[in-house]
Amino acid sequence: MSTTTLLEDAICDALRLVIDPELGENLVDLGLIYDIAVGGDGGAYVEMTTTTRGCPATAYLRDAVQTAVWNVPGIHYVEVRLTYEPPWRPEMMDDAAKRHLGIPEKTERQA
Amino acid sequence: MMGAAISRWTMSYFAAALVFLIAAEGLMVAGYGFPAAPMEAPETLVLVHMVTIGWLSLLMCGALFQFVPVLVATPLRYPALVLPAFVLLLTGLGCLLGGFLQLAGSFDADLPLLAMAGVFLPSGFALAVWVIAVTLWAGRPLALPARFVAVGLFAVVVVAMLGASFAFVLSGTSPFDPLIELRPHILTIHVAIGFGGWLGFTAIGVSYRLLPMFMLSPESERSTAYWVWWCGSAALLLIALIVPATLLLAVGTGPVITVACLLAFLALGLYAADLTFFYRHRRRRTIELNSSAALGAFAMLYLAVLLFAALLLTGTLEQHVGALIHLIAFGWLTGLGLSQLYKIVPFLTWLECYGPVMGRQPTPRVQDMVVEKRDMPWFAVYFLGVLVCTAALLADQPTLFRILALMPLMATVAIVVELIGARRLSNIAAERRLPPGTMQPRLFLPPTLNWRRS
Repeated sequence: MSTTTLLEDAICDALRLVIDPELGENLVDLGLIYDIAVGGDGGAYVEMTTTTRGCPATAYLRDAVQTAVWNVPGIHYVEVRLTYEPPWRPEMMDDAAKRHLGIPEKTERQA
Repeated sequence: MMGAAISRWTMSYFAAALVFLIAAEGLMVAGYGFPAAPMEAPETLVLVHMVTIGWLSLLMCGALFQFVPVLVATPLRYPALVLPAFVLLLTGLGCLLGGFLQLAGSFDADLPLLAMAGVFLPSGFALAVWVIAVTLWAGRPLALPARFVAVGLFAVVVVAMLGASFAFVLSGTSPFDPLIELRPHILTIHVAIGFGGWLGFTAIGVSYRLLPMFMLSPESERSTAYWVWWCGSAALLLIALIVPATLLLAVGTGPVITVACLLAFLALGLYAADLTFFYRHRRRRTIELNSSAALGAFAMLYLAVLLFAALLLTGTLEQHVGALIHLIAFGWLTGLGLSQLYKIVPFLTWLECYGPVMGRQPTPRVQDMVVEKRDMPWFAVYFLGVLVCTAALLADQPTLFRILALMPLMATVAIVVELIGARRLSNIAAERRLPPGTMQPRLFLPPTLNWRRS
């Protein structure tokens, strides 16, 4: 396994520390992290969203992602980009998060 | 920009609002004002304005300062005006209540308190409307929920102006004689636009955003929701035009009110369809207490609609209008307000306390800050209490009403105690309560009194 892949996995684990306050689940399981990429120079790029545009927690969530990734050993630079394309949908959660929130794992859209 | 999206004074608005609610419910238990006194008695006016301005309007303003930026996805404009608006509203309300007490003969002061209220209250509302309206303007094109709020802002301007005119008339300082002659019509508009427009229409608009958000229901704007907005806006406009229609067109108020009522019924019918859609198509099968308790409030809304229709058809509206207003104010608006505070207060407290350390260490969940199983019965007691109180009013049983009014009072106190517990983080295990870097939130004041940031 390459160093960048290991770092991406470590970032993913670190981001499980960050929870969406409204839903009470971590951002990774909720599907709010759209992309994680690590460059050879230890620079990390994270693309994320929030469950709703204009959420009062947005600034906190973005800052928390920045901090969590920064604390991963081997990461020297972090860029966090907030996007609403595509908008987040409940279908983007993983099965564990859906179970915790009482959401059928096969939603209408997926069925 | 950390925390820029948290309205710093919203919790203070909520705290003041809850104090007025408990005080008003306490006065009802004590037999102060209606039904022990007539509807138009100064004592009743004290009670009514404690509920409509002290509780519901402060709650609405505090909530809008927080959630209008969510509705239009843009920061609150002129946040420095939020505190002056709060001070003006509280001062104005104090003058208004003092003025009514003067009229009741239970308070004597050589001050034109009602006239002062007629200046302070509209000024406070004007500042609040300015902050919210400019924020809405910056968020154009407006999503549908924000358009409801925009209409609500027009409504509060009308209500505040009419209220001020009443205040000047009652204080004997009004230079406009026609106001006295038109008082019955103006009172109808004041009440209908206040409950239906400022408080009701705005609450409906915010519910179009919050319900799908909390229950993960489909968020796309439905055509029925647009019809709710059009029909509701038209109904409110017609009510507002009663006086000009009477004066300029020499038409009776009957046809105007009939058309307005039909449009309002249509709007509320379509809103019922949208509410059913949100609850039936929610992806979150297990809903939280704020969403399930809101069902009680919506049930009260439609009971009020049925009661209104029944009173109209039987020609007993004038006789039982107090019971109807009680059901609307306490069943629907207060029920909805308390149920949503049950979510909003822990949510904002969580952001204030744990937001700054998120990502550095594990944090509790918002859901850990309240104990839903313990609190659910109190919401049941609250709604049941409002129902039986309304029945007592319909049966013209003031003593029974006083006894039954203990139910909503006790339930409200229990819910408020839970909200204080959420602010105190008392439901979170001690070892997880305050991780390094966090601070115990103040009960109702902003974390730091940095006046420049307001």
